Amino acid sequence: MGSLVVSKSRTCIQHLCTPWVANPLYFRPALACLPQQNIMHAVRLIINPHTQYYSTKGDKQGTEKGFTPRTRRAFPNSVFTAGTAKRTAEYLKKRAGVDTEELSPLRARGSVKVALPDHPLTPSEWAKFKESSSKPERFEMQIMEGLLATNADVNIAKSLLAYVVQDKGTLSYELLLRYLTLCVSGGHHSEVFDTYDIMRTCFKTLDTGASSLFIKGFSQTERWREALVVLEGMKKALRPSPRNYSDAITGAALHGDTETSWRLYDELLELGLVPNQDTWQCLFQSGITQQGHEDKLFSVLSYMRDNQIYPEEPLIKTIKAWFESLPDQKWNGKFSYVVPSGECKNCKASLESIQLTEEEYAELKDKVMKKVIEGSDVFKKTTTEELNIFKSFVKQRPPFDIVIDGLNVANTTPKATHSETLLAVVLELEQQGLNILVLGRKHMLQPSRNWDRQNMNKIKQKAHCFFTENISEDDPFLLYAALHSGVHCNFLSRDLMRDHKACLPDSATRRLFFKWQRGHQLVISHYVPGKRVRFQRISAYDTIVQTSGSSWHIPYDENRGDRATYEVPQKWLCLTQEH
Amino acid sequence: MMFLRSCSLALRCSCFRNPHVSIRAFSSSRTARKDAAENALDLDAWKSVMRSQALQEETKSPSRSAIDDNRELVEMWHQAGKFVPKNITDEQLEALAQLTTRSAKKKYLKFLAIKESHKITKKEKQEKKKSEREPEGEREREELKNTFLLKFWSSSADRVQSWRAAQAMRFGQPLVYDMSYEQHMSRRELENTIAQLMESEGWNRRAADPFHLHFCGLQPDGAYQRELLKRYGSHTWERLLITATERTHVEMFPQQDLVYLTADSKNVLHTFDHSKVYIVGAMVDRSIHSGVSLANAKRLKLATARLPLDEYLDWECGAKNLTLDQMMRILMTVKDTGSWKKALEFVPKRKHAGFQQESNRFMGTTKSRFVRDDSSESRFTRNDSSESRFTRNDSSESRFTRNDSSESRFPARAQNHLKNKTDGHKKQAQRAQCREDRH
Repeated sequence: MGSLVVSKSRTCIQHLCTPWVANPLYFRPALACLPQQNIMHAVRLIINPHTQYYSTKGDKQGTEKGFTPRTRRAFPNSVFTAGTAKRTAEYLKKRAGVDTEELSPLRARGSVKVALPDHPLTPSEWAKFKESSSKPERFEMQIMEGLLATNADVNIAKSLLAYVVQDKGTLSYELLLRYLTLCVSGGHHSEVFDTYDIMRTCFKTLDTGASSLFIKGFSQTERWREALVVLEGMKKALRPSPRNYSDAITGAALHGDTETSWRLYDELLELGLVPNQDTWQCLFQSGITQQGHEDKLFSVLSYMRDNQIYPEEPLIKTIKAWFESLPDQKWNGKFSYVVPSGECKNCKASLESIQLTEEEYAELKDKVMKKVIEGSDVFKKTTTEELNIFKSFVKQRPPFDIVIDGLNVANTTPKATHSETLLAVVLELEQQGLNILVLGRKHMLQPSRNWDRQNMNKIKQKAHCFFTENISEDDPFLLYAALHSGVHCNFLSRDLMRDHKACLPDSATRRLFFKWQRGHQLVISHYVPGKRVRFQRISAYDTIVQTSGSSWHIPYDENRGDRATYEVPQKWLCLTQEH
Repeated sequence: MMFLRSCSLALRCSCFRNPHVSIRAFSSSRTARKDAAENALDLDAWKSVMRSQALQEETKSPSRSAIDDNRELVEMWHQAGKFVPKNITDEQLEALAQLTTRSAKKKYLKFLAIKESHKITKKEKQEKKKSEREPEGEREREELKNTFLLKFWSSSADRVQSWRAAQAMRFGQPLVYDMSYEQHMSRRELENTIAQLMESEGWNRRAADPFHLHFCGLQPDGAYQRELLKRYGSHTWERLLITATERTHVEMFPQQDLVYLTADSKNVLHTFDHSKVYIVGAMVDRSIHSGVSLANAKRLKLATARLPLDEYLDWECGAKNLTLDQMMRILMTVKDTGSWKKALEFVPKRKHAGFQQESNRFMGTTKSRFVRDDSSESRFTRNDSSESRFTRNDSSESRFTRNDSSESRFPARAQNHLKNKTDGHKKQAQRAQCREDRH
């Protein structure tokens, strides 16, 4: 069974069994002798530590509701692995017996299904048709929207316009806008030109929707330069969207004017907009056919690096093709993955370490203190006295090796009382000779069923403890204590700290925080009372676009929408130069 | 709807499903060719008509301001069928020009459009009423009846209420609205706050035994003050029987008497104390700022309390912070009757599924997981970080488990599981139950 699970996993058994020497805390699954029960258990405990599992012996349903170990991949080795959140959510839905079938998408409000003609009608036929409609005043709009939704023949729409002109003597802007949408999506360029001329002359200005459509429509044709004029016109009242720029850039790139497309790209960046994947896609595409601008394209890659953006699958293929098309550089691209020790499977090179530099550390520590703990009001999360007590507490003690979020860890399993679980974890870590800090709240000191006094006393002997007020937040203290202790210090919690990350002032700091978190957060992967505590692996390498001059490593998203924002992709493109 | 659809379908069958009439189908029949010709002719007819309607070229004035651009933007959006107001004042355009992002502009315009449509419907209603009233305009003067009262005018009621309010000013229990949240609110939130304050003041005035209202920490030239004056009018504001002061509540009352009411508090207000001074934060936070008022209370070392919503109601959705007028009516009722059940009638019905059974009241939580906690601790577990900080998955899990501590629901097969009173077994029994329900 164990081998079955492994066969689905992305890392081969040889690498799973190599001891990770970097950290004594790594979970080393001795897969060969791990019974299936345990693997399943581990999966379940990761996914939902609060559920009491019970044996399904003799249960006719066997593993409940389509949960079959065969179809499941090996359990993720980190909470930060792409797809974990989604899988977990789906699994929980299954467990709860909720149908995972998508509900039929609700139609937009006010969209009424109308019968649509399948060929152009004469005005008299339209008039007859209108008589039968439920809402005569919106009749032509309804039909036009229906035609748009079904992607119908443009001639039907034309005949409708002809009828409306005959009937009312003019066409409303709204109707023309819908017609334009139909033409643009159908790629009827000459119609787009005609509609453009008419709309320009009949109306004072164009709204943003029409402008966007014209930019999109024109950029596919010979008149793509006019799209740039429309784009300029848009800037008056509103900032154009990245999509508008993307269309204009595509237009320029398609017609071989890379100068213009790069000028637009720079403008887009200056406005502080984030380019979308299509923009990069067409820039790399044009880079394949036209030489020059290599440094520009390399700067795109470093933009992705700086902003922790990962290309998606179509884009990564284009990037690979572009690298391989570079003359006399002999790039060779392979899709690969990275083993836990941080070595690329393909070229055996070590990837960048996840450790922060000293300056980054100092900055992050400062920001966490200023923004996360103090924020706009110290009293929101703590009090001034408590903060001072905590600061002196941390100063008086030697740097910790691990900081434990007591309440979070105590809640790991329902099988043991809170204090038992916490004690087991503290003992496990103490055996490894670590200097431990346990953070909790004062109510833990009140003896009760869950908080046994003797257990708490044992914990106090084995570790340093700090208990905050019951109405204070304990996470910020945890983060600060871990950061204060230095590079070697990890923290233990299942909490993903997203709300604290959100307190940070700018995205650069948030990325820094996320990097530090990936490198220093331990998560209990599985714990059965009376057995050893297991921890999830901490990543040793940083998942980010990176280069060593003669090689590039680019992580990419395998399939869209599978990755939550607090996760990182697992797939890599490895590019090496042959010599 | 079904009828209509069938109608149109029938129509479709009669007129469109004519196999002979089709552009592409070559047919020698004369009628068909005529039809096709007609169609072909008609297809581009609209273009020439529209071209003939071209606007006169306007000489564009070089001095165009952002206001003009915004006005054009709104006009064109209106023509494109977006939800924006038809008419917009220069003042509103100024406000619009100051908004930087597209979404902010859209939101503001939507707000204006809603306002406009309300105005229009109100006008229509009034006109309708007017037209209905007119025919019966000439009412005969009724015979004078023998009555001991002249017509009871509302001004008499006002006078009675004013006497009561004056009495409350002398002898009533103080209720404080803390007016120190200006910097936490956007303009719209501030306007909402003032509206709610006025509503509360109105409810208080109509009560049999009103509170003595205090608006504490009201800055003399602050936004609150400006807005209050604007809404009440300076004449009414001057004569309002409440205490409005720039002094804070800590300066006005002894500290041990003050209780700050905030939804973030861990302490539950089980009984209304007539000797205490309750403080309500005058703040509307549409973008929920949690812990702002609790932080204020902590800074001044005041006692805090929350309403016993979880103890009395099966809460379903929505935030537990209530509006100021709801707070006022709840406090009023609990002060007069001492019954939370009556008082909590004023909590919006959409937020809860009804009142809890007596049996599981004061269990402290609504999660079966914590039923075994002793009460001394269960007070904390509700808002315990470990509780509220679970990743989203956990909370979804707790949504799915049924919470019912009565054992009678379980079949006999599950009863023996319950002998061992652990949560796991409970849940397991529930799952068994759920499964049986399904099959």
